[in-house]
Amino acid sequence: MKEEIRMTSQSRYPFYNVMNEQEAWDAHTRNIVRSRLEPSSQLRYLEMEELQLLRSVCRVLLDETRSEMLAFVVSHIDQVLASPVGEAQRKAAVLPQGKLIRDGLQRMRLSTLLYDFAAMDQTELAALEQLLSQLSEGCAESAEVWTGFDQKAFFKSLLSMAADGYYSHPDIWSEIGYGGPAYPRGYVRASLGQIDPWEANSPMNHP
Amino acid sequence: MTLQRKYADEEVDACIVGAGAAGGVLAKELSEAGMKVVVLEAGPMLDPQQDFASDELAMRKLGWQDTRIVDGTDPLTMGHNNSGRSVGGGTVHFTGVFLRFHADDFHTYSTDGIGEDWPLSYDELAPYYDKIEKEVAVSGPKHFPWGEYHGPYPYPEREPLSPNAYLFRQGCEKLGIRSSVPPLAILSAPFEGRPPCINRGFCNQGCMPNAKFSTLLVHLPKAINSGAELLSDCMVTQVLMHPNGKASGVAFTHNKVSYVQKARMVILSAYAVETPRLLLNSATVQFPDGLANSSGWVGRAIMPHSSYDVMAKFDKEIRIYKGTPVLATTQEFYASNPAERGFARGYSLHAHGARPLETVKGIIGDERGLVWGKQLREAMLEYNFYGRITMVGEVLPNPDNRVTLAEDTDEYGLPRAKVTFSYGENDRKMIQEAIGNMSAILEAEGGKVAFVHPDTAHLMGGCRMGTNPDRSVVDAYGQTHDIPNLFVCDASVFVTSSGSNPTHTVMALAARTAEHIVNKVKRREL
Repeated sequence: MKEEIRMTSQSRYPFYNVMNEQEAWDAHTRNIVRSRLEPSSQLRYLEMEELQLLRSVCRVLLDETRSEMLAFVVSHIDQVLASPVGEAQRKAAVLPQGKLIRDGLQRMRLSTLLYDFAAMDQTELAALEQLLSQLSEGCAESAEVWTGFDQKAFFKSLLSMAADGYYSHPDIWSEIGYGGPAYPRGYVRASLGQIDPWEANSPMNHP
Repeated sequence: MTLQRKYADEEVDACIVGAGAAGGVLAKELSEAGMKVVVLEAGPMLDPQQDFASDELAMRKLGWQDTRIVDGTDPLTMGHNNSGRSVGGGTVHFTGVFLRFHADDFHTYSTDGIGEDWPLSYDELAPYYDKIEKEVAVSGPKHFPWGEYHGPYPYPEREPLSPNAYLFRQGCEKLGIRSSVPPLAILSAPFEGRPPCINRGFCNQGCMPNAKFSTLLVHLPKAINSGAELLSDCMVTQVLMHPNGKASGVAFTHNKVSYVQKARMVILSAYAVETPRLLLNSATVQFPDGLANSSGWVGRAIMPHSSYDVMAKFDKEIRIYKGTPVLATTQEFYASNPAERGFARGYSLHAHGARPLETVKGIIGDERGLVWGKQLREAMLEYNFYGRITMVGEVLPNPDNRVTLAEDTDEYGLPRAKVTFSYGENDRKMIQEAIGNMSAILEAEGGKVAFVHPDTAHLMGGCRMGTNPDRSVVDAYGQTHDIPNLFVCDASVFVTSSGSNPTHTVMALAARTAEHIVNKVKRREL
């Protein structure tokens, strides 16, 4: 991202809740979206130890602290890893996704034995962020832990699964002002600056 | 559950592998001509009302998610990005952009000394473009400014557009760049019981109102009415060969049970990865390098489109989730002019809306480095303040970009496809120019470029057509040079990729192949 562009650090639509519109959605879509608000289901792939570390990792990757949101994202990742559906693509020489994540989390634990990431205090978070930053560049140190492992592929796989889950959650749709499902009603007002009455709105966005 | 079959013990006239853009057209044309047709589709039969949803995550299932091994310096994103796996194939989740190729797209070698000329011309394909446009009631502008065909289209252009499309057109106008509403396979008025579009925006998740054309809605029901049998959830694992050197049918798997369909003619319409993969996986003693591969060109010269996205941030709300994803386009940068631009060929630019998952993918994958953590969170909080443009750039054919067989096997025990792709120098130069033009259009309206996402779209090539059997797999009608009753009819026959979305051309070629087959069969030449 270029430096000169200023981004907001909080929702521009503090009073918008996309779920208020659910009666206007078709039943199939409504069931899919509603299910994301229910408590997370049982683990199918991840072990408890992996889950705790993954939750901390997602906290940093997504800059999110709400525990129910992190639980949802981790549960989404668990479902993807447990699913028999393919990965669409896998780079030659990269481990299958389930193994890649399991192996990577194990190596993360080995390389950070000093920290208890479940505790999540500032020291731990800073250390975790630093490690993730190194993984994203493929330069995490400690050769005995990371040699022969594709750090970048591991990091990208985690980030992409975490973001898929997080940005499919209706609370996040509300925060970013996304109109959400739009069948059967569609959109009527389509010009720049026009919104349909049910879309996210906030006076502060119209200076 | 036992598979109910119409022709279990019978040799049909034609077995079509893949019920997508091409397979749908073929099935309709051949069955309406009285031929006995079976269409085998690996994916399920879905009902738009019950099985589609206004949700990106849930609808990834419309793509071919089975794992492909990807390699090369620019490994491709597969799955929902460029392939389909359900009845209707890619047409179920494509954006509906329905462009014709330009005349010189068919002879890049003669024009620019690059690639290879197609064994057919635009003029030969034009009547089939006309036919397909009528069948799906393409909506388009009164005058489309570029290429050979300027209209009229069967239905008027879409109206209203979307905020992102208006933004794009305003930016173009300020810079003196002509822009247009594109021809779309999306209805602007009722047609054959289907309603006009409601600007819902989820074309890539499957159209729920049935306003967007797919072969699931248009061609396959007509084929079935004319007696064709459509078998879904049936994965073809092998093209079977008779000792006389002709294809005898296919083997396929349904619910873990293997079946055979005997056929006088086999037509592969399984798209640019699965068609070459099936030919390679069907190797026999007589054809040890795979079927129809005496040239060694099966799997070679696959081409995606370069499809970089540019997102600029504005001080005002744009809301890229609203409306049909592509409602404005320009082909001002389409015509080849290597002397002035430093590269051959060209591209289209589309105003391109996106829902949150598509957007976050583009932010994470910014070309300057992965975006995550606080930076990602803040960038997504500005979701409604981005404008977005995507290029569809011609990628030159390179025989080293190819589909081969991996060591890994899939659930059927078949070697997976390995898809190797690297951009060439010409491709990269074109991308750089396009990024500059996309940025300029957004900046003209006051946007600041925030993210540039390296991306690809579509797949073409892998069984290219040609007159020379040493350098191509099929002839101008899709008939393989090596096996007279084995045809390939899908995007894999493309010789070059053009700067236009490929679906319309896939379907026009299928209509032409179908007519050829029907004529040959009538004359008992097939």
